[in-house]
Order: sequence, then structure tokens, then C-alpha cells
Amino acid sequence: MLEIKDLKTRIGDAEILRGLSLSVKKGEVHAIMGPNGSGKSTLAQVIAGHEDYEVTGGTVRYNGQDLLELAPEERAREGIFLGFQYPVEIPGVNNAYLLKAAVNAKRKHQGLDEVDAFEFLKLARERMAMLGMDPKFLNRGVNEGFSGGEKKRNEILQMAMLEPRLAILDETDSGLDIDALKAVAAGVNALRSPERAIILVTHYQRLLDYIEPDYVHVLSQGKIVRSGDKTLALELEERGYDWLREAATG
Amino acid sequence: MATESENIEHLVNRRYEHGFVTDIATDSLPPGLDEGVVRAISARKNEPQFMLEWRLQAYRQWLEMREPEWAHVHYPKIKYNEISYFSAPKSDEDRPKSLDEVDPKLLETYDKLGIPLHERARLAGVAVDAVFDSVSVATTFKKKLSEAGVIFCSFSEAVQEHPDLVRQYLGTVVPRRDNFFAALNAAVFSDGSFVYIPKGVRCPMELSTYFRINAANTGQFERTLIVADEGSHVSYLEGCTAPMRDENQLHAAVVELVALKDAEIKYSTVQNWYPGDENGVGGIYNFVTKRGDCRGANSKISWTQVETGSAITWKYPSCLLRGDNSVGEFYSVAVANNMQQADTGTKMIHIGRNTSSTIVSKGISAGRAENAYRGLVRVMPQAHGARNHTQCDSLLIGKQCGAHTFPYMEIKNPTARVEHEATTSKISADQLFYCRQRGISEEDAVNMIVNGFCKEVFKELPMEFAVEAQALLNVSLEGAVG
Amino acid sequence: MKPSSLDIDRLRDVVRQLPNDALMPSREAALAHFDEHGLPTLRDEDWKYTDLSPLVDISNRWLRAGGQQQAPGDRRDAVERVLGSIDATWFVIADGTIEPWTARALESGAIEVSRLSDAPAPFVTGRPLADLNAALRHDGLRIRITGHPEKPVGILLADRAGTNAGVAQSCVEIEVAPGASAELIEYHVSEGDEDHYANSVLTMGIGDDADVKHVRIQNRSIRHVQTGRTSLALGRNATLRMASYDLGGGLIRNDIDIDLSQPGANVAFDGLYLAGDGQHIDNHTRVDHRVGPSTSSQEYRGILNGKCRCVWNGKAIVHKGADGTDAKQANHNLLLSEKAEIDAKPELEIYAEDVKCSHGTTVGQLDETALFYLRSRGLDKNHAIRVLTHAFAADLVRRAPVSAVMEAIAEIVETRLAELTESDLIADILS
Repeated sequence: MLEIKDLKTRIGDAEILRGLSLSVKKGEVHAIMGPNGSGKSTLAQVIAGHEDYEVTGGTVRYNGQDLLELAPEERAREGIFLGFQYPVEIPGVNNAYLLKAAVNAKRKHQGLDEVDAFEFLKLARERMAMLGMDPKFLNRGVNEGFSGGEKKRNEILQMAMLEPRLAILDETDSGLDIDALKAVAAGVNALRSPERAIILVTHYQRLLDYIEPDYVHVLSQGKIVRSGDKTLALELEERGYDWLREAATG
Repeated sequence: MATESENIEHLVNRRYEHGFVTDIATDSLPPGLDEGVVRAISARKNEPQFMLEWRLQAYRQWLEMREPEWAHVHYPKIKYNEISYFSAPKSDEDRPKSLDEVDPKLLETYDKLGIPLHERARLAGVAVDAVFDSVSVATTFKKKLSEAGVIFCSFSEAVQEHPDLVRQYLGTVVPRRDNFFAALNAAVFSDGSFVYIPKGVRCPMELSTYFRINAANTGQFERTLIVADEGSHVSYLEGCTAPMRDENQLHAAVVELVALKDAEIKYSTVQNWYPGDENGVGGIYNFVTKRGDCRGANSKISWTQVETGSAITWKYPSCLLRGDNSVGEFYSVAVANNMQQADTGTKMIHIGRNTSSTIVSKGISAGRAENAYRGLVRVMPQAHGARNHTQCDSLLIGKQCGAHTFPYMEIKNPTARVEHEATTSKISADQLFYCRQRGISEEDAVNMIVNGFCKEVFKELPMEFAVEAQALLNVSLEGAVG
Repeated sequence: MKPSSLDIDRLRDVVRQLPNDALMPSREAALAHFDEHGLPTLRDEDWKYTDLSPLVDISNRWLRAGGQQQAPGDRRDAVERVLGSIDATWFVIADGTIEPWTARALESGAIEVSRLSDAPAPFVTGRPLADLNAALRHDGLRIRITGHPEKPVGILLADRAGTNAGVAQSCVEIEVAPGASAELIEYHVSEGDEDHYANSVLTMGIGDDADVKHVRIQNRSIRHVQTGRTSLALGRNATLRMASYDLGGGLIRNDIDIDLSQPGANVAFDGLYLAGDGQHIDNHTRVDHRVGPSTSSQEYRGILNGKCRCVWNGKAIVHKGADGTDAKQANHNLLLSEKAEIDAKPELEIYAEDVKCSHGTTVGQLDETALFYLRSRGLDKNHAIRVLTHAFAADLVRRAPVSAVMEAIAEIVETRLAELTESDLIADILS
């Protein structure tokens, strides 16, 4: 589904990704790990189409299309979802309103009829029940006054409503206590399907105890230096990132 | 793919949708202002002597006054002698008694303006007093209102039919000497609305008025007076549109509201005057004095406005909180784009005991516009227990515009509680990207965010206005953000 | 502005007889400019709440009596008191004259001192009161700080009104060299029971990467009028922490201008004003953010009791291109009596887009819940009021950026607050 070859990016004067290659097929769950500054979040933002980042080399193909040609909203409508590390607040804009607008934008793109208020609410309540979320969430401003945990759960709710083909979750576990983490993980697991691919960007191994990845990649200094299965994560936990950094520069 | 900052000054392509002129012969006075003009205006309207005297005194006072210069706006000097002070459509002679009698060309005008008078009036139950170039043309639903004892007619008619009421209240809230534009208005005002709600009556429908300026160089000098007697209740909507012209047009209106004991007046405005083109040419100069007198105990006056037009706006709807326990409210969204300039706000004067006021002002600046909030909260020494809360937020779109706040707080009573908060911000790149990543286009995202910013004010507007207001907001900011 | 009602002819005579001829050209130019523009009046926006007639009255009486300056010489009580209680490198300007004995033992290298008359600069037109200062001043003090002096630098401006009416000007120019750091104390104090008008001008240039902590204390007598303009300009990445305390005086008007035309500048400036019967304290401040990123934050608090009036006007101007500016203003006032009046006006003029600006102003009373709480713990009403009022002020005292002076400030505030809250004029707010 997602084919990244030799991707190089820059922001301002800094080069972050320096030739990253990655291949993700539908149904798979990939974990991207790495020390701070390695480029994990950059990768997530670049796939989503954030305009601050300049792509200086390489290609990204999504279901056969050149992804880099598309604007962020176009990528979204094609089924790419980014769960933000720091979801922004949009005061005065109702959570339900944003969701409905997003759902309908996608449906319109797919040539489907838009959902009306009733249908939307029905769907939303279903999903929230599945995720164990309080329906009152819908009436609040987008992320306005949400705790860290609530923000992350809101991201998962949006993912559940938008049913993406490729979901990239950027440090979904950061700042969460164990209960919140479990709830978020349960949500993500409920959304696993053979038609969907999920990329988990994470610094710590902990999340992977709850969401079992098919592949684990380690990002260091803008490149993937090692790939393996879930046991690689455990190894990193024990030995830290320095071990791999040495291996990479050696 | 262009970056946000490159798109930010993307040209406004929307054409002022109401930009056209109705081709009806008008019966106007030649430009210039002197005592003769004042007399001519009064004569054309067959006004009683007291009215003429009132106007003449105002004119003489105006001659001694100076135009204010302190507002944060810059404009070429107005040449008062080059404006015509009276314009009326030919079909003035026999005033139409029902819509059927109205000149069809006029009705067509209203259609184009999106005011299908009869449909709208019937469905929503709104009585419309449509003012066309200084003379009221249609007043519908008068019967229903008169059953309730409500008087809603043009100001000219009120002077004829209810002179005592007019004499009792005219100029008691905005005296002729109040300011330069109020004096001018008092001398040459042409028409406007008059509303009287009798004791204990809750006006059965929302009252509304539409304005329009047509002939070139014709100032629009409207005068409105609304009196809510004890225990009564009225909601009044004011919405304006104007055609595209090349010369600036002066609009100096005066609105006086009087709320007696236990009465409540809600005055809502959606203003869409022609703002000038992208280069600031043309556009209406809107200098308005609006004031509400909470004369009786427990009275309440609320001003709610959405202002998106005019080249220059100078406007401070105010409340005099005289009655004990009286309440004053001001909710405003003011948008300035391209080369518009606005210096607007409110004055809340606390005089009686236990009075309270709420001010929520949302200013949006885009293009090369300048938007200033100027507010005054004055608590007089005898205003025991006064309460005020002010929230003043500015949203900046683009690098060339300005947003300013000048709130004055003059507090002379120690039991007062006054709180003022103001913030300035922009639509952040993060917010835009978040929405876009959820599949929403940039334009829709901007509209969503701006509407969220103005939400607190929109929810105070009467239903039909709220919808028009949101659409108006979206249109006035088209292309402002990339 | 109307022409001032100062007796210009007498003024001219007095100016011509001043010492230090080197300054005469700039004095003449300043006088001409002042004559042309006159003093501000109540019709000027920035002066609408402050009537300068007492200033005019005192000045004219002084001019007509010959415009003499107090004789310099003996140290006086007020001076002794301050010098004794605060450990700093002190410079004393008494009645407009720089005391020659001050700051003789300077820390080597770190502080250089000279006078305006050593190297007079050409006159730069200013506001009316600054012009008046330039016309009438005997001399000015120039201080250049190049290193990191261990002790704070203190400037004591002491005036004694011994005769019918006295007028004194003071002028201080401070330069803090790039990379240097300084703690400054600016202390205004008066003696004597007669009327007096003191007009001060202080300009400070803070070089790149320099750091300044400045405390300004005004503790004048009730018969004294004081106007003062403090102008500060910050270099790249320079920082300024400033706190002003208006603890005395009759008619006080302070103007502070802060100019941020280099990126990375960071300013925090706070103020406390305590006003009782017969006082009028007016604080006008202005911060110009010309280039980003830069930060400014301001909090002024006022406590008013008795028949008094305070004015607070804080302007923050963010110029076009000053993206990355973060400007905050706050003003909080406690009104304790019915004859007290506060006129507050925060102003924001924003011409740049990527900025974060906010201001908050409150006027109110002591929290009734807190008052009741204290009373339920056994404190009587007056005591409870004093405690809470004290807490309101204490925050600002704690923020004095120069630690050497904090104790002195705390003491004066304590005394002044006790005077203010013990007075019979407290309105019975609880009834």
C-alpha cells in the first residue's frame, strides 16, 4: 500500500530524513522506533503532507499513486489518517461538527451521499460505545480543555469514524498513564483489519505490549537502520538506542 | 503546491453581490447644506412646526461643532457641501398601502437583494419596513401589530400620527449636541423606524428594516426611535445592503432606544454596506450613534451586531444603565478586510444600583485592514454594586492588517467589579493542518475556525439573522487566507 | 496643545543664569521647543485624567522668586537614611545637583562615570516635560557599566523643599555595554514640608546580551509633584527585569517607554502604586515591539483608599514585521473607598500577524470569602482587611528584581499599607 524509497527531507536548514525506505502492505502493523530527533515524527508529518517540510529526494507511492503530488486534504480523502502527537485545540468548533465535516468530505470524494445529522450521530455513538468513550465528548470544542489522555482518545475516535486505509499514529502513547494507554490500545486493536495498514511511531516499547506489531523498524539519524519483528523492540528496551547507533555508524 | 503564506493574500474574487443600481427616477435635492435645505426637507415631509424647529436648532448647533479626529481611522475630508441631503423615488406621492401597489421595479430590487418581501414576511411572520432612499415604501403586517397595540411605522409617519410620543422621547437619549454626526443627523434626517410597545406587551413578532442607498452623493441619514414601555419586550433586526458606487457615501444614522421599568429591547444588526474595492475605492462611510437608555429599574438592552461592510466604520452602540438592576449587553463581530478601517466598540455607563454589563467583542482583520475596538466602562460614584465583564478578542489573518484594542475603564465606586480580558491571535498553521488532515479543504477549515471564534456572538443573534451572518462572514473573508 | 501657562520670560531668565556653559546651546534649543509646544492639557489623550496645574503653579512661584536651586552640601536625613539601609554604589543628585562626593570609590573597570557637561550632546527634541528638563537642568550624570559590578548601582534623587516652592531637574544616562550585567536602584525621596516639583529623565541603553535588573522607588512627600520619563532601549537578546513602586507623593506622573528593536529581547516590568487621601498617581507605559521574536510582560497593581485617583495606561505596540512577539499586560486594582477613582486603559496596537498578545484588567474589592475565612479564624475585620490587602501587594514586593533593596521596599509598603487601611475612610463593603 505504501512504498517509500530513499526519502530525503529538509526543514529550514536541517536535513532530517536522509534516505529512508519503507514498505507497508495492507493488513500489516509496523512500529517505527528511534531516539528523539531521529525523524520519527517528521516521517509521520511528511506522509500526511505538512507543508513545512521540503522533500529533497526519493519517492512515496500510495496504492500506486505519487503521494507527494497530493495536498493534505486530498491525502486524507484517499484514506490516510494521522493521529497527532500534540492534537491542537480549536476553540468554539464543536467536535461533532468537525467529525461530520470530515466524514462527509471523504464520502463526497468517494462519490457517496453525505450523512445527515441523525445518521452521523448514530454512527458516532456506536463507535464511542465500542471505544468506551463518554458521548459528551461530541459536544465539546475540538480538544478544548481535554486532558492528554482525552486528546489521544479523541484521535482514536476520529480514526474510528473516518475508517482510513493507512493510519499513522504519532507517539499515541506519550503522556498517558497505564489505564489511558490500555484504553487507547484497545481502540486501535479494535480497528485492525486485513484491509487496513497501521504505522505506530513510538519511542518506548511499552505500547507494543498492547498493540502487537508485525514489523519493527529502528530509525536513526534519518534512516531505517534495522528492521525485525516484535522481538527487536524487546532487544532495544534492554540495550537502548546507542547500541544501534554504533552499529549504524560503524 | 503553494505554501500557506504564499496563498494568504490571494485576491478576493468575490464581487459585491449586491452591486447594482436601480434605474428609477429620483426626486433629489441638489448638493449642498444650508438652512434652506433643512426647511426643504421638512416641507417635503409636511412636518409639523415643532419638528422643523428641532431640526433648525440642530443645524445651527452643528455649524459650531468640529468633526472628531481621534478615531484610529484615516479618510479624506468629507465635503459636506457636495452631498445631496434628500432623495426619494418618484412613486412617493401616493404611498402604497400594500405590497401590490409598490412599483414592480422596486420589488425586483428587493428580490435581487435576497429579500423576497412577501414570502419572507409571511413565512417568518416578520413585518418589514423597507426604506428605499430615504422614504419608507412598504410596511406590512401593520394590522397584526396594531392588534397588539404595537406601533411600528416609518419615522415620518410617526411624526404625523403620533407627534406626542415623538416629542416625548426624541433626542432624550442622543441629544442633538451629543456629537458632530448626531447633530448633522438631527438636522437632515430623512426617515427611519419608529417603534412603540405598550405596557406589558410582548411584541408578537420580530421587527425588521432594510435600508438602501441609491443615488450618487446622497447621504443616508436615518433616525430610529424605539420605546419599550413598562414590562414590554421587543426584538428588532436591522440589516443593510447597498449598491456599488465609485464615490464614498456618508451614512450618519442615529438610533435611540428607551427601556422603561421591567422592559427589554433586543437590537440586532447584520451590516453589509459596500466596503470599497480591493484598493479601498468607493465604499460607505458609516458614522453611527446608537444608544440605549435603561431608564427604568430591571430594564435590559442588548446590542448584537455582525459588521462586515463599510469602508470606514465609527460606531459605539452604548447603554446608559440608569435604572437599578438594569442590564446592558453588547455582542459584536466586526470583520475588516482589504482596505477597510473600523474604529468601533461600546460604552457602558453604570449609574443606578446593582447594574451589570457584558461585552463580547470579536474582531477579525484581514488584507490591509485596520480594526480597532474602543470601549468605555464607566462606573459613576453612585453606581453601587456595578458589575462588568468584557471579553475582547482579535483574530489576525495575514501580515498586513492591524488589530487594536483601546478599552477605557473609569471606575469611581469601590463596590464595582470590573473585569476585562483581551487576546490577539491568528489562525495557526497547526489548526489548519489538523483540519486538512481530516479531509477538510483549507477554505472550509478557515470558515470553521472563524465561525468557532465568533460563536459566542452568533448564538445571541435571532435565528434567521444567525444564518445570514455566518454566510456573510464566509463571503467577506473569501480569499483572505491561503 | 495650548501654549503653557508657565511664565516663559522668567523661565528664560533663569535658564540663562544656569551654570555649566557647555550645556547652554542645548538649553536654548530645548527652551525654544518648549515655548512652541507648551505643556500638555486635559484635551490631550495621554493627559486626559491628569491635571498639571499644580505643576504650573509651583513652577511659576519658584520662577518668580528667582528660580534658585537649593544649596548643595550637607548630607541630609533622607539621604543618610537611604544610604545607610541599602548597600549599593550610590550616586546622589540632590536638588538637581550631582553631589561631588558620591561614588568616589568605584569598582574598578566595571563602572565609568562622567557628566553631560563633559561631552554635551546636541539637543534632540522630545516631549514637553523632557524639553523643560533639558532647558533647566544644571547637569546630567552619565554612567557606563561594562562588567558585572558586585553591588547594585544606586541613584538617589533627593529634593528638599526648604523655601516656598522648589523645582529641580535631574537627568541620568546609563549605558550597559554588550554582555554586561547590572542591578540598578532608582530612588526618589523628598524632605521638607513645602511644595516642590521634581522632573526627572532617565535613559538607558542595554547592549546585546546584556542583563539589567532595575528597581524604581518613589517615596515623595504629599506636597510634592513629580514627573518622570524613563526610556529604555534593548539590544539583541538583552533582558530587563524592572519593578516600580509608587509609595508616596502628591501628584505623580511616570512615563516609561521601552523600545525593542532587536530580536531576542525579553522584558518583564511590574509596578505597585499605593494611593491615599489627596494623591494622584498616573502611570503611563509603552512597549514598542519592532522586531521579533521578543517578549514583554507587565503587571501593575494598585491599592486606593481615601480621596485619591490613579491612572494606569499600558500601551503595547507590535509593529509590522515583529512576528514572534509575545506581549502580556495585566492591571489589577483594589478600591477601598467611595472617594477613590481608577482610570485604567490597556492598549494593544497590533500590526503583525504571528503574535500572541493578551491583556487583563480588573477592578474590585477584597474577596469576601477570604475575608470571612480570616474572621472565622479570630481576626477582627480591620485586621483581616489589612492581611488581604497586604497579600495583594506582597506579590509585587517579592518581585523586586534587586534583592538588596527588597527589605527596604517591604518596610515602606508595610508602613504605607498600615496607614491606608487603618484610616477611617474604608467603605463598609461588607454591609
